Formats: sequence, structure tokens, C-alpha cells
Amino acid sequence: MTELAKNRTLKALTGESRIENQNKIAYLFILPWLLGFLAFVIYPLFQTIYNTLFKITTTSLGLVYDYNLIDKGGNYGTAFRNLYFFPQMLDFVIMEATYVPTIIIVAFILAILLNTGVKGQGFFRVIFFLPVIIMSGPITGILYWNGAGGLLTYEDNVIFKMILSYSPGFAEALAGLFANFTMVLWFTGIPIILFINALQKINVNLYEAARIDGANNWQILWKIKVPIVRPTAFVTAIFTIVQLGTYTGNPVFYLIQNSIYDRGAGIGLASTFATIYSLVVFLLVGVAYLLLGRPERTKKIQLSSIQRDRMEALAVRRAKAKQRTATTR
Amino acid sequence: MNAILVKPRAAVAAAKTYYRHHKSRLNRIVAQVAIYVFLITISYVFLYPILRMVSISFMSASDLVNPEVDWFPTKITFANYGVAWTVLKGEVSLFNSIRYSGLMAIFQTIVSALTGFAFARYEFRGKKLLYTILLLSFIIPVPILLITQYNMFNSFFQSIGWTGEGKGIGTYDAQLVMAFFGQGVNSAILIMIFVNFFKMIPNDLYEAGKIDGANPFQLFWHITIRLSLSTIVVVFLFSFVWNWNEDYVTKFLVGDGILLFTNQLGKFDSLFQTRTTGMTHPDAGGEIQLVESFKMAATVVSIIPLLLLYFVGQKSFVQGIEKTGITGE
Repeated sequence: MTELAKNRTLKALTGESRIENQNKIAYLFILPWLLGFLAFVIYPLFQTIYNTLFKITTTSLGLVYDYNLIDKGGNYGTAFRNLYFFPQMLDFVIMEATYVPTIIIVAFILAILLNTGVKGQGFFRVIFFLPVIIMSGPITGILYWNGAGGLLTYEDNVIFKMILSYSPGFAEALAGLFANFTMVLWFTGIPIILFINALQKINVNLYEAARIDGANNWQILWKIKVPIVRPTAFVTAIFTIVQLGTYTGNPVFYLIQNSIYDRGAGIGLASTFATIYSLVVFLLVGVAYLLLGRPERTKKIQLSSIQRDRMEALAVRRAKAKQRTATTR
Repeated sequence: MNAILVKPRAAVAAAKTYYRHHKSRLNRIVAQVAIYVFLITISYVFLYPILRMVSISFMSASDLVNPEVDWFPTKITFANYGVAWTVLKGEVSLFNSIRYSGLMAIFQTIVSALTGFAFARYEFRGKKLLYTILLLSFIIPVPILLITQYNMFNSFFQSIGWTGEGKGIGTYDAQLVMAFFGQGVNSAILIMIFVNFFKMIPNDLYEAGKIDGANPFQLFWHITIRLSLSTIVVVFLFSFVWNWNEDYVTKFLVGDGILLFTNQLGKFDSLFQTRTTGMTHPDAGGEIQLVESFKMAATVVSIIPLLLLYFVGQKSFVQGIEKTGITGE
């Protein structure tokens, strides 16, 4: 064996880091993705934002850009003056605000129930995951418009009427939720799997320890399960927010789609709609982060000196007891 | 006298002790039953649109308007499926859907595997930043990118003279290019599945391979790919299904250029008028209501391939979501 090869082998065998530092090769592997990302995500993102400043007309020579932000607020002005855009954006935000929490809560409840070890867990999972496979624009569209999505008759419900008389806006949001309750459930397919996965990863010893300390199931749910699955809830929230963005039942769906399609009205205006819409989506993700995503601050418990003494005494007593049982055995 | 009094008391006491002894067991049974009732109810709500759709797809026009017929048609008719197949141009669109979803899935799987390998195996400059960007790219709404992507591809295809029948915009070319560069549907999730699986492959294997003189591409091919066939199947299946169901981007970049199940289903009503003229179908009524059963039959037809795939690869799908590792570890 030559000296060089020996050295190399030694280096390979004694290499400390599991992962090695090979910039060139790594970049070679991610090159296609990186190029695609720059060309089809980064560039379009900034180009579309740039587009919002111009009135763009399509001519035989290509696209002609006329700066028009000064003229009555340009595209932004037009978007604000549009009769449908902002009301529909508001509906969209209301939809996200009602759907996302519902989806997370329902998915969490179903995951907990499936995780109790009921028989036929696999069967229920198959059913709950099925919509993920078949859900596409046209299909949800058809089922949505045929009212197959609505199952519960809520209009005659006393509670609904009470809410309606107090706060019509809230009642409307609720109605939107219940009229499409099945469709809402259809979004829980992936969240359920994620939650089950997260629940199964909780160390069983934690439950045991809690039980020894006298916690009941309810306390275990709130003190152990909920805090541990919080990061999963955040991922779920983001996933759902994004999914609802391309959902046919989404109120702004058609407006944005048609504005892109209708090239006569101008690419500038379409870009403006898309940009404002994206901003709103980012804001929603931000809200989800504030509510669920922030790392939880661990509370430091301040013990008084008496408490500390007591605990120390207890620890000593326990250690002694342990010793005693060990020796008697 | 006493005996009579004592007896009921004894009975009550016996019942009380019985209850006390079997309390936890009784509670458990009640809880189990409650869980099953709840899960079955929810399953019904999940499946309601699908069941409804299948039921309607077998109904004749008279059943549709008959208020007495709710779930079961008076006479099961398969004629709706014949009409649906004609309207969808089933023989063409089925082939196209399979072909393009398959192609896109192959491209996406290859690029995701390459990218995932780099992120899992190598330490390179900007890795953390790039991985964060990869995850963040998932939340960028589609419309804001789509506007510029369309313009880009439009001018690109025109500049290289790739226009006309079966070329450029109106075909799958643009989407294939994007998929090849790792920007297909939900590419970020697919890459994440690979990253998390590749991380689990022990480093010793690579070291052994390196000692035997394998270069990085040989390591990738002979170790990583050989070991992750199941993951590759998972990613391929997901990619296939998502591409099959994708219709937002397809609507702009493909439009009506290629007959697919999704885009045919999306405008079923208008196609129904043109494609069934001169054809004798069972309910030649012409009322709008009567399209219902054909439409439902068409929807059933378009999801049958997906259902077949789901029931074959059901485990893979669920595992795939678990493998993303986005449940936070």
C-alpha cells in the first residue's frame, strides 16, 4: 500500500465528523434544484412584485411597461377601488381564521382517539387519509357546488339563531364553516397522521410519572400531550393555510385566477392582486407562528429555602429507603 | 319483617360493591363505545360526499327529480358512465393523465433524491440557509409565481421558435422543465422525505464504500438508492397523485392544449353540450339538473385510478407523511 493511500484510509477511518465537508460535490448534487429555485421561484417572485408598479400591455413586440404608481395609486389604487377584491380578501381571512383552528382541533381529537389503541385504527386511518389522495380542484369544486360538502342543518338550530341575533358576522363565519364541514374535514387527512406520529413519540414514562404524581387523564392531556404536539400543530397550521390558498372554495380563488387569465386587464393588476394576496398569506403564517410556533419559555420555579430543605430531606429519606431494601434483599 | 328490609339493603350494597369493583371496567367499556360511535360518525361525514357521488352516478333522470329517492336509485343504471366516458374523452385523457403525471413524478423523484442526498450527507457552505429557504419556499403562494412563470415560458418558447401545435405553451413542456429543476408540486415536501430518510443511513456504509474507492456518485447510486427503494416508491406515489390532482398551474401553462381528467372534469358542463350532440343518451331532457348524474359518474371515473393506487400503496402513503419528519425532532 502506498503511503498516500494509507494516509487517505487513515483519514477516512478516523474522520471525526459524520458528515464531510465537500462543497463542490454537494453543490453538484443540488445544482438542478438551486438553478430551478433561482429561475422559477426567486426571479418570478421579485419580477411579479416589480410588475405591480407598472401598467403592462401586451404588444406584438412583447410586453410594454408604463410606470403608473403616481396615477391614482396605479395598480394598488385600482385594486383598492375594485368592488370585489377587498371584501373577498376579508372573506378569505375569515375562512382561514375559522377553518385552520377547526382543522387543527378536529385532527388532534381524532389523532388522540386513534391513539388510544382502538381496534381498527388502520381502517379509520385509511378513511381519514383518503381525501388527500383524491382531492383536486375540479372534484372539490363539483362536490362543493352540489352541496355535498354540507351535511349539518344548522339554520334551524337554536344556538345558531341565538348567535345570529347577537352577532351576525360571527354567525356568518360559523355558517361558512358548517356549510362545508365535510370539506373542512377533508383537510385533516395529513394533520391526523402528523399528530398521531407526534403522540406516538411521547415517552410513555412521562405518563407514568404523571400518574404517580396523581394526574388524571385530563391533566395528562393538557400538561403533557398538548405542549408536546405544539410544534406539530404549527406545521399543520402552515400546511393548512397553504392548502386553503389553492382550494376552490376559497373566496378570492376565482378573482385571482381570472385576473391572471384575463390578460387584457393587465398583468400589472394581476400581479398586484397576487402580491397583496401573498402578503396576507404571509401575515397569516406570521400569526400562526406567534400563536403556535414560538419556542415555549420554560418557567423557572423559585423554591423557598424551606421547600428546598424539605425536598432535600425527602431525597435523602428515599435514598436511605432504597438502600435498605437493597441490603435486605 | 327484618328479613324483608334487609334483603333490598343487601341487594343495594351488593350492587354498590359490584359497581365499585367493576367501575373502571365499566367506564372503559362505555368510553370504548363512545369512541367507536364518534369515529364511525366522523368516518361517515368523511365519506358522505363520495357515497353521495357514487349513489347519484347510478341514478336515472327520473330518480334524480324523484323526492322519494334519497340514497338508492330505483333502478341501477350504468348508462351514465358511458356518457361520462364520452364527455371526458376517456380513452385520450386517461392515457394523457397517466403519462404526464408519471413523467412529472419521475423527474421530481430524481431531482428530489439528488437534492435530498446533498442536504443529508454533506456539510457545505450555506447549507442551513438553503435548507431554510427550501422549507420557506413551500409557503409562497402559487399565483405570485405563476404570473411571471407564464411570461417567462411564453417569451422563451417564442424566442426559440418552439410554438404551434403540441409545442410550447399549451403543452406540458413548461411544467416538465420546472419539475426537472425541482420546482414541481410540493417539491419541498418530497425533498424533506428524502433528507430524513437518507440521514438514517449509517455512515459506516459510505466509509466502507470510500475505502473501496467509490466516487460520490457511485456512493449515491450503490448505497443510497439501493437502500431507499421503499422511500423512492413513496415519493413517486405522492408525486404522481399530486401531479394528477394539480390543476392550478396546469390551467395556465397547459390550458386546453392537452386533454386530462382534471381539466375535462373542470368544464364538464360545457363539454357535455358539445360532445353529446347527436348522441342518444338515456335522459335526453336537456335540463341542467339532469347533467348531475353524468357529472358524478365522470367524477367517479376520474378518481378510480387514484383509488386503485391508494388501496395498493396505502401503507406507503401514510408512512411517507410520517417520514417527512416535519413532526419536529
